[in-house]
Amino acid sequence: MPQDQSKDLALLTAAVAGQSGEEPPKRADQFLAKRRSRVAYGILAPGGIYLMLAFIVPLILVVYTSLQSGGLLSGGYQFTWAFENYADAFASSKTFIARALLYSALATVLTILLAYPMAYWIAFYAGRWKSTLFFLILVPFFVSFVIRTVQWNFILADDGLLFGFLKDLGLLPDNFRVLAGPVAVVAGITYNFLPFTALPLYVALDRIDKGLVEAAKDLYATKFEAFRKVVLPLSFPGLFAALVLTFVPATGDYVNSSVLGSNRTTMVGQVIQTKFLTEADYPEAAALSVILMIGMLVIALAYAKVLGTEDSTLAAAA
Amino acid sequence: MTHDRKDVDPGFSASLMRGMTQRRVSRRDLIKYGGATVGTLSLASILAACGGDTAPGSGGQTSGATVDFSAPPGDTINFANWPLYIDSAKDPDTGERIHPSLVSFTEETGIAVNYNDEIQANASFFGELLPQLQAEQDTGRDIIVITNGREFTALTVNGWVTELDPSMRPNFDANAASWAKDPDYDPGNKYSMAWQSGLTGIGYLTEKVSRPVTTMDDLMNPDIVGTSSVGMITGDMPDLVMINLGIDPASSGPAEWQEAADWIQMLKDSGTLRKFYDQGYIDDFTAGNLAASMAWSGDVLYYKIWENKPYEWVVPDGGALLWIDNMMIPANSANPQGAYQLMDYVYLPEIAQMITEWVAYMSPVPAVQDLIAQHATEESGEYAADLADMAENPLLWPDDALLAQTPFGRNLTTDEEREEWDAIFVPISET
Repeated sequence: MPQDQSKDLALLTAAVAGQSGEEPPKRADQFLAKRRSRVAYGILAPGGIYLMLAFIVPLILVVYTSLQSGGLLSGGYQFTWAFENYADAFASSKTFIARALLYSALATVLTILLAYPMAYWIAFYAGRWKSTLFFLILVPFFVSFVIRTVQWNFILADDGLLFGFLKDLGLLPDNFRVLAGPVAVVAGITYNFLPFTALPLYVALDRIDKGLVEAAKDLYATKFEAFRKVVLPLSFPGLFAALVLTFVPATGDYVNSSVLGSNRTTMVGQVIQTKFLTEADYPEAAALSVILMIGMLVIALAYAKVLGTEDSTLAAAA
Repeated sequence: MTHDRKDVDPGFSASLMRGMTQRRVSRRDLIKYGGATVGTLSLASILAACGGDTAPGSGGQTSGATVDFSAPPGDTINFANWPLYIDSAKDPDTGERIHPSLVSFTEETGIAVNYNDEIQANASFFGELLPQLQAEQDTGRDIIVITNGREFTALTVNGWVTELDPSMRPNFDANAASWAKDPDYDPGNKYSMAWQSGLTGIGYLTEKVSRPVTTMDDLMNPDIVGTSSVGMITGDMPDLVMINLGIDPASSGPAEWQEAADWIQMLKDSGTLRKFYDQGYIDDFTAGNLAASMAWSGDVLYYKIWENKPYEWVVPDGGALLWIDNMMIPANSANPQGAYQLMDYVYLPEIAQMITEWVAYMSPVPAVQDLIAQHATEESGEYAADLADMAENPLLWPDDALLAQTPFGRNLTTDEEREEWDAIFVPISET
């Protein structure tokens, strides 16, 4: 939008300059552009500085660490462009990367299946309860991520609140359990990332002009056709944001598998943690982090390509 | 004692003390998940990493940084320790949290102590200091507390900690326990002195086992512990298994490590194993998901004694694993003289007593046992009973028979050993 405006403005000023054939308007244009860029930099500065300190610098440090070699017990690690760390880290962690991608994909699909109808209903039918209902989705997330996950450990305990009760009723065999297995881990990720899926979906769905759905119906679309041809495409930007916000961090997550899983559910995040906290092998831990980061970037870009965010943004705007 | 806890904080309650005496490690796992990676990316370490690119090759068996300990001490000590690992009280005047043992030190020496409970895991804390250590800069800490293990060894073999002058620690010489003196990982206490210590053995829920667990092999017997109900602590597991296979970790090599790994594989195949834990086993233990688990004595005994839970903690027949958290002075510390004075000061029995009454760990000062028993007779009610329990607990005051059964873990001294060890044990707990 700002680009379009500046283009329009440039065209306008060019037209004005052409009409009069004089210099001053050009100077005014330059002055305006300068002032605008100063303002832009001023507005960007706090966020930019924050990103520099909190994101770029650590990122550089991670890459720097990932290229170190040496040994903990022989002088520590030195920077040597040790690219072999990447090969070693990848070779020893393929299974765990694959498993993390699988769990994360499953959890992402589940969160979308859960969050989409929820967000849809709130956006279209909740009326004046909209904010209250949405707030209710967010309420549990005022509690720390780890504490919430540990709580699930108690709820899902073998003889705990849920299964203990069902076992007492004879509805479940005594040796039934969900914890320390993949089901608990995927369920945990699904639960923990639900709001990150619901929020962008809700924003996208709420923005849709309800008149468009009416119009579709006027044109003899059934309810389902109206949803499929109007609402769904218009919610693509939200869906894209939801996918990225859920899938990417869920792949690197290590809390759910640590707390709710076992050695049979080890995910790549835990491997990084072990390399870092148990083996004190910082270079390989850093290399694995970078591999994961690049992998996620590629996947996010692929999503963008497939879901075509720009097109759907245009569609939403049209 | 001018700084008896009761003088400092009249509002002190026994129940508060219970809340404070839980084994530090089980509490730190929550913090670990949240803060471990953040902590390692402190600005200081970033700057040091970017600036100090020291040449490799200084590695190997460097001797520690030497310091003239007879020089006058500086006026402040920066002391990095684990959470809940020192006596605490509320200053009645200011309402601030103080540590009476340290207040007492400051009053006697005039040296202020800036105490910071910032250590949540050996490796992550070590990682935080590493850039400064490699760049031969001051880490900003004068005393750090590190468990015997690979980070400890890295600090000593790389010359990243200050060599201590053995002629300048009279209290340590007079009062330190036999097990705290001359440990195999630091001969002659050249670099370190014990802060507190503990044991790794087996804990179990009496209701969930068909008979008391007495050996490590019991852990792989489904008739005793059931299925999917045994927890193992990844870090301590290789050593505890070796000890119970009759192998002395100190003299073990790859063949013995493989033997221990095979035992762990047998445990996995038996169907009794639920999970390998970093340290969060106590949550599953208290939730009743585990019937038995490798466990730190402090964790389980805390629930057994203070909360009357049906838990037991035992030294398995083959023995338990002894670990020590050690005070050290990082190289290039700004105030090594003051730090060393404090390290020796906590070996005064009455000071060590103040610390142990709070943290309830194995004190490196055996004389503390009688002082606590004495203190119990001067108190009344529940508090007196608690103190008496503490003074009588054989696991806090190990005798020679117990010590003979509780060796240290294998001290890995070279990178080759370390890598071989990890190649054997890490895959077992990850798959």
